[in-house]
Amino acid sequence: MKKLFLKKSLMTIIFLLSSLAHAADEIEVPDDELAKESVLPVFDSVVSVKNRNVSTAGRFDFGIFGGLALTEPINNTTKVGLELNYHLNENHSLGANFTMNSSGLSKDAQGLKNDFALDFNRAPKPQSTMMLDYNYSPFYGKMSVTKEGVMNTTIYGSGALGLVKYEHKSFPAIAIGIGERFYFTHRFSLKVDLRVFAHQAPIPFQKGAMCDGSLGLCNGGVGLSPQPVPALSSFKERLTYTTNLQIGANYLF
Amino acid sequence: MKKLLLLLLISATAFAAPPKPKPAKKAIQKSSITAAISQMKSGQHLSAANNLLALSRRPELQSDRSQIKFLLGLALMELEMNQVATFQFVDVIKIGDPRFVKKAIEKLLIVTDKLGDETLLNYAIQRIDVNSLPKSTQELIYFRLGEIKQKSGQFAEANRMYSQVNPGSRYYLNSLYNLGLVQAEAGQTGLALETFQKLVSTRTKANVTDTNKVAAQMAIARTLYQKKDWEKSIEAYSLIPRDHPLWHDAVFEQSWAMFRAARFRSSLSNFQTLHSSYYDDFYIPESLLLRSIVYLYICKYDEMDKVLTLFDKQYGVVGNQIQKFLQSSNNAEAYYREVEKAYAYKYQDRAKARGKLPYIATRFIANEGNVRRSLSYIQKILKEKKMIEDDSRIKNLVIGSYSLKLLNNRIKSAKDRTGDMVKAHLQNMATELVDLREQASLIRYEMINGKKETLKKRLSEKDINDKTETDEKSREFYAQNGYEYYPFQGEFWLDEIGNYHYLGKQSCE
Repeated sequence: MKKLFLKKSLMTIIFLLSSLAHAADEIEVPDDELAKESVLPVFDSVVSVKNRNVSTAGRFDFGIFGGLALTEPINNTTKVGLELNYHLNENHSLGANFTMNSSGLSKDAQGLKNDFALDFNRAPKPQSTMMLDYNYSPFYGKMSVTKEGVMNTTIYGSGALGLVKYEHKSFPAIAIGIGERFYFTHRFSLKVDLRVFAHQAPIPFQKGAMCDGSLGLCNGGVGLSPQPVPALSSFKERLTYTTNLQIGANYLF
Repeated sequence: MKKLLLLLLISATAFAAPPKPKPAKKAIQKSSITAAISQMKSGQHLSAANNLLALSRRPELQSDRSQIKFLLGLALMELEMNQVATFQFVDVIKIGDPRFVKKAIEKLLIVTDKLGDETLLNYAIQRIDVNSLPKSTQELIYFRLGEIKQKSGQFAEANRMYSQVNPGSRYYLNSLYNLGLVQAEAGQTGLALETFQKLVSTRTKANVTDTNKVAAQMAIARTLYQKKDWEKSIEAYSLIPRDHPLWHDAVFEQSWAMFRAARFRSSLSNFQTLHSSYYDDFYIPESLLLRSIVYLYICKYDEMDKVLTLFDKQYGVVGNQIQKFLQSSNNAEAYYREVEKAYAYKYQDRAKARGKLPYIATRFIANEGNVRRSLSYIQKILKEKKMIEDDSRIKNLVIGSYSLKLLNNRIKSAKDRTGDMVKAHLQNMATELVDLREQASLIRYEMINGKKETLKKRLSEKDINDKTETDEKSREFYAQNGYEYYPFQGEFWLDEIGNYHYLGKQSCE
């Protein structure tokens, strides 16, 4: 339903804009002057764009972002963060980012707690992530939805090294990703970033340790008393992959 | 086949005995020359060349010097040491032994044509009887003679020479093109168009970017412009493929045709391309003045002012730097170095290759026909020199050190000659810029005059509240032809170059 509304709104906007365009000056370009070839002119050096609207070389950008851990089953999937990048040139940048995880459980884990008294708050939860980040932006482009204005975009790949901090311990982590920035002005951009993190992490499942006894269902409904809270360090660890989707706003100084 | 010809040639020279030698001397020369010939026949060209060089220096073999030098030239040609070979043939021609002169000239023609050594080529051409040469070589001579006549303005003679080059000859396409140029220069535009059309039709099956085809198409457009057929000229220019280096010239020249055809909007569209950042290294001062004149015609005085200011800023500096360099440098080598740096700037690390002259000027000069040919010739000699230096077998022999000495001298003189060419071009450029700056001043005067007249008119009509041209920049457009309007925001994209369309209106009241 929401999608349908969005679609209808878009159609209306496009119709209104096109009506406005009809009201504007009419220009007829002679056919022989219109583009007939898709080949590129030959220059001494091939540069796809000159006099860029968004020039990042030698500049810092600062950003805030919010994210979702798409494949996180137990802990709260939302997070917020800050980042600072230095652009070595138009293509390469180095930076650091800090992400704070929201506390609590995911909807699914909360459901398990409500329905089966399985309290995953007993398992160690991630608290924050700190990464050193490298971005490579091979594509700089532009797009226009209404043809009234042009928005510049960059597509980048990223690689990061850092630490994921859990309540009891920190784990080294690596991440790779891909993202796109949409520049609304020469400085301000919206960023969409998809990353896959890989790191050792505690397995949040431990037999005979998760039931809090609130529903009297522990031990398959046989035992009534809550199971003892396990020590955080008692959880086994394994290599874990998490896919994160982040959306943020960045400002280029 | 090539080897067989060489063997025949060597055998022929062996039988061409010198007149009445003394018995003892005859024995010495026979044995040494015969040994060298045997070496050449067996493919030992390096040893043969080395021995022949030694023989050529022996005073007792003075009477056989022509034969020895000729054989040495042949051996060097086989070793791809063409420049060194040319000197042997020139020596043979200078000695004047009738048994070898004709053959030496023929070989000299071939080898200098390959090298692009115009000085020696002309030297050979002046000494040749065309009818005594084989047909394939005759066509080379006709083509080169045509060029010489064309340069000296003898169009009828040049026409006659080019017309004798037949289809099938490797000089045919160039001759046809030059023939068209000669006809155009002689004012025979109809004939010139036919010739260029013929050239285009001979290349129908060639690639779209085939240089002969594109150059002919360009020549058609230029000839139509010469005929003042502006519309057809514009059409002809638009047929130049975008991915050919001549396209840039076509855009500029087409703008002139558009201006002459009073298609101001179209010419301004082209200027948006020509004055984009992609053309920062292009020397096209005239295009800025033409743009300002177009603005004058449509009363866009503010835009005109911007363009004239840009002209002063960009080409004022270029003119001053050229003048300064011309005053401070007399040495031809210094001029050559500048063009060499421009070449390096184009292909290598730009930061390390900054010259004293602005790159925009040296790049333009490096692309001028005579300088380009000369640079290409120097590259060939340098390549030959490198080949000798890299091959220890040649380098360590007497022929190696002899060749290197010879090549070094040749490189120096070629560089000096190129330097002189560069200097001449710079002088022309300096004069042209002074002239263009004067024109810019006149245009500026017209601009001020136009502004004054507009203000007067407005004041008299008490219409001072009217919107000025700058107030109307926020206009919106609907593009016909099913295309969509995409606003320009200062960024230049390679795939948009050539596709800009000026959408302003004339502001004359």
